[in-house]
Amino acid sequence: MATIAALARGARVDEPWLPDLGVSLTFGADQISGPLLILTAAISVLVVLHGQRHLPPGGPPALYFGLLLIVETGALATFWTGDLVVFFVAFEIVLVPMWVLIHRFGDNHDPAARREAALRFVLFTALGSSLMLAGILGLLAQAGSSSMATVATVTIPSGTSLGLALLLVIGLGVKVPLFPLHSWLPPAHTIAPTGGSVLLAAILLKMGTYGLIRLPVALTPAGFARLAPVLAAFGVAGIVWGGLVCLIERDLKRLIAYSSVAHMGFVALALGTNSALGLQAALLANIAHGVIAALLFFVVGGLKERWGSVDLAVVRPAVRETWPGLGFALITGLAGSLALPGLASFWGEFLALTAAWNPAYGTAAPYAVWGPAEAVGWFGDSPEDAPGLVQPGSGWDAGWVAWVPPTGFLRTLTIVAAFGAVLAAAYSLRVARLVWAGDAAPRDRAGDLTWAEWVVATVLMLAIVTLGLVPYVVYPGVGS
Amino acid sequence: MVSLDWLVLAPVLAPAFGVLLVLLADALAPRARGLHLPIALVAVGAGLGALPYAATSAVPARSLCRPGPEARCFYETAPRGLALQFLVLAGALLVLLMLGPGTTHLDRTQRGGPAVTVALVLAATTGAAMVPATRDLPTWLIAIELATLPAIALVALSRGRGAESGALSLLMVSLFSFALLAVGVGLWTLATGDATFGVDSLRVAFADPDRHRVLLLAILFLIAGLGFKLSAVPFHLWTPQAFVVADEPISAFLATVSKAAALGAAIVMLSPLAALNASGDSGATSVRLVIGVLAIASMTLGNLIALRAQDPLRLLAWSTIAQAGWVLAPLAMLTPTAASASVAYLLAYAAGTLAVFAVAAAVHSGTEGYGERSLTAYAGLGRGNPVLAAILALGLLTLGGLPPAVLGVVAKVVALQPVVGAGQWWLVAAAILNIVLGIAVYLRWLLIVVRPAGDAVPQRLRLDPGLAVALALLGAGLIVLSFAPGLVIGLTR
Repeated sequence: MATIAALARGARVDEPWLPDLGVSLTFGADQISGPLLILTAAISVLVVLHGQRHLPPGGPPALYFGLLLIVETGALATFWTGDLVVFFVAFEIVLVPMWVLIHRFGDNHDPAARREAALRFVLFTALGSSLMLAGILGLLAQAGSSSMATVATVTIPSGTSLGLALLLVIGLGVKVPLFPLHSWLPPAHTIAPTGGSVLLAAILLKMGTYGLIRLPVALTPAGFARLAPVLAAFGVAGIVWGGLVCLIERDLKRLIAYSSVAHMGFVALALGTNSALGLQAALLANIAHGVIAALLFFVVGGLKERWGSVDLAVVRPAVRETWPGLGFALITGLAGSLALPGLASFWGEFLALTAAWNPAYGTAAPYAVWGPAEAVGWFGDSPEDAPGLVQPGSGWDAGWVAWVPPTGFLRTLTIVAAFGAVLAAAYSLRVARLVWAGDAAPRDRAGDLTWAEWVVATVLMLAIVTLGLVPYVVYPGVGS
Repeated sequence: MVSLDWLVLAPVLAPAFGVLLVLLADALAPRARGLHLPIALVAVGAGLGALPYAATSAVPARSLCRPGPEARCFYETAPRGLALQFLVLAGALLVLLMLGPGTTHLDRTQRGGPAVTVALVLAATTGAAMVPATRDLPTWLIAIELATLPAIALVALSRGRGAESGALSLLMVSLFSFALLAVGVGLWTLATGDATFGVDSLRVAFADPDRHRVLLLAILFLIAGLGFKLSAVPFHLWTPQAFVVADEPISAFLATVSKAAALGAAIVMLSPLAALNASGDSGATSVRLVIGVLAIASMTLGNLIALRAQDPLRLLAWSTIAQAGWVLAPLAMLTPTAASASVAYLLAYAAGTLAVFAVAAAVHSGTEGYGERSLTAYAGLGRGNPVLAAILALGLLTLGGLPPAVLGVVAKVVALQPVVGAGQWWLVAAAILNIVLGIAVYLRWLLIVVRPAGDAVPQRLRLDPGLAVALALLGAGLIVLSFAPGLVIGLTR
């Protein structure tokens, strides 16, 4: 069953590029959703492969793989759709299967904690998506259509735009998760099975940032322009908070979860600059985090399987000695996490800081969003049909075009964020010292990477290096 | 002369005719106890079969019309009304299936014999099917009571412990609400000088300050009276009392068919107000506020208490109270499209609720009475009876509005859309809070279903054939509607 599933996943990598126009369902991919679709499909293949060998206890394999596939379906549909209501429905599809994954297949040491983590995940994200629904319905009321392309051409009064952008940003911020709304993530990650953690970090969080780009940035530009500095500030708060927690956190899985909060903070900061460069940075950081977090969760899940727990306070033998393969994967993931140049996450975070330092650099985000979208997807099939970049004019509220975020404020944020990047180096090296280098005497060397882990780790490490060397494959940016 | 189109009337006449046939069969062949349910199924099926004719004949489908330049019809069904009639008849059909087809289940759960039970179900169905088509106040009132009183008798005849007291509280509440409705009808007629729900007389009454006040009072009385029928907070207290004592199919009847009758009555009563509202005549804003507050109170209180309930039927009772709030929320916007949204929501709710009740009937078939039923009985359902568990999960998720039950998600979207469109953000905020509360309520039940049962070998449940058919229909319906939720919305506009 799982093999068939895996094959189906492999075949689907190409499929998202085929536009499928239903009666009222619009699906289409563009340069923003394309990389995320590939990421989703690829990570799903890896998770299913991993599940072949490392099936978590708690239920029959059919249920486990079925749930994984439903999560994947929801994520693909989210990235794929051009319709606001379908976006909402697809966004919600992942909730119940993920809930069951955490609840049934999660860490079975403490049933009460497991129940609580699963429920907290569902209720937090449901609250977020309900707020988002209110925003979407508001857009619908303004535009009279749920097609994103149509809504984008409607001028929304400035005050309404701000209100709707606020609803959308808070709603999606829960999923990202944005700093004060993140408290559901660490318990969910800690409890979830390895496959679930990977899906959560690599795909579900991306649905939040993708939604931010697709909805508030693109559809309520006037409101978002005013919210952007606040978003950037919360993003930076997330970077610092996540980094500080990582310095003292004892549970390795929880630590990786908090590092996710920090990395997503960079994405929020990049989006908060409301510039084309920031958008590019956000997309790069998004994909990079997807790959790196996936690798780290696979490795940490593997360690948890071998050790029984991943408490950092327990002195253990060096992974580098005991299981060199696993150790190499771990150190690659950690290097990626601290944004070493040449690895995937460097570009996203470097560009985020650049964009925040020079906020007026480049064009405002809506151009970037709707330029490529039109070129590839929703209006015509071939680039020749594309009307090109959306020009400011009758369709746009003139107020936001001239609005430039306060440079001093963003530069302050940049400095704080750079400090956060230093924290990332500190906690990554802390983990490397405790786990990779270790303290206790080496033991039995058996039990290094299984074939499934080997495949998964190799693919992800290759992806990390490739994205680090040729980042522009993700998102070429406007005009290239 | 009054012109008559019998086929348009058929959705109401068929169950009424069924009552006669059932009673006749009982009189002529008292031994043939297995005859009544099939007769009833045929009667309700005939009513359902006549619906497409009414839907295609004219918009709105009319009958019982007086000739002349001021032609008025006493029976009119717009698409909304037809959708409600469909819900009433389909709900009745499923409840009858859950009761039958043999008489053993009926004898075990209901006193008075199958003929009485079936005749009562059909009579209440007749009333409920009639309500959304009425256009004049006396018929409206009679139809509402025809939909209510047999349902009370059904609760009273239940064999469950405390059925009499449950039925008694239901009866008292019904009498009280009848009194409120009667006073409201009287005041309405006094203010408008018209015994029909006409727009013109209402506009005149609104323009006159003295009559305006009387009219508002009439509307308040009517809303309060209907609040009881809809089981909206603060008129809800009979609901949990009746639900825990009645047999599951009877409670399902109360939760769906009776609620459809109440919503139909509310829409008939509010539609002239909505027409006034659409023509820019304000004055209905206070009505909007009243209904909106009822909606918020019902949602919030219903969900909060359902969150603590241990008895599944008590949980369902409070869940129907919360869902009544969701039905009322779009209705409070007083526009025709919002009324359609209410009906669409009610259809989705009814599908989910009937599915949950059907599974509950299957699981509880061994136990009797309040205190013995408990949510813990559902542990291991997923392993022992995966199909039942899947139907229950779909039903609960439809009620909670979570995929894979896309029908429920779309219902929430449809219900909220007119509220957001009207800019009533206070109501939207309360609704968002209640989406989350509702999810907690239904996931709490689902949690027990998906939890591994431990070492105990879960038993396979034996299903009555009628119940099995009802479950199959509901399961298939929920799956189809989750792929094509547009069908439900299309039915209402």
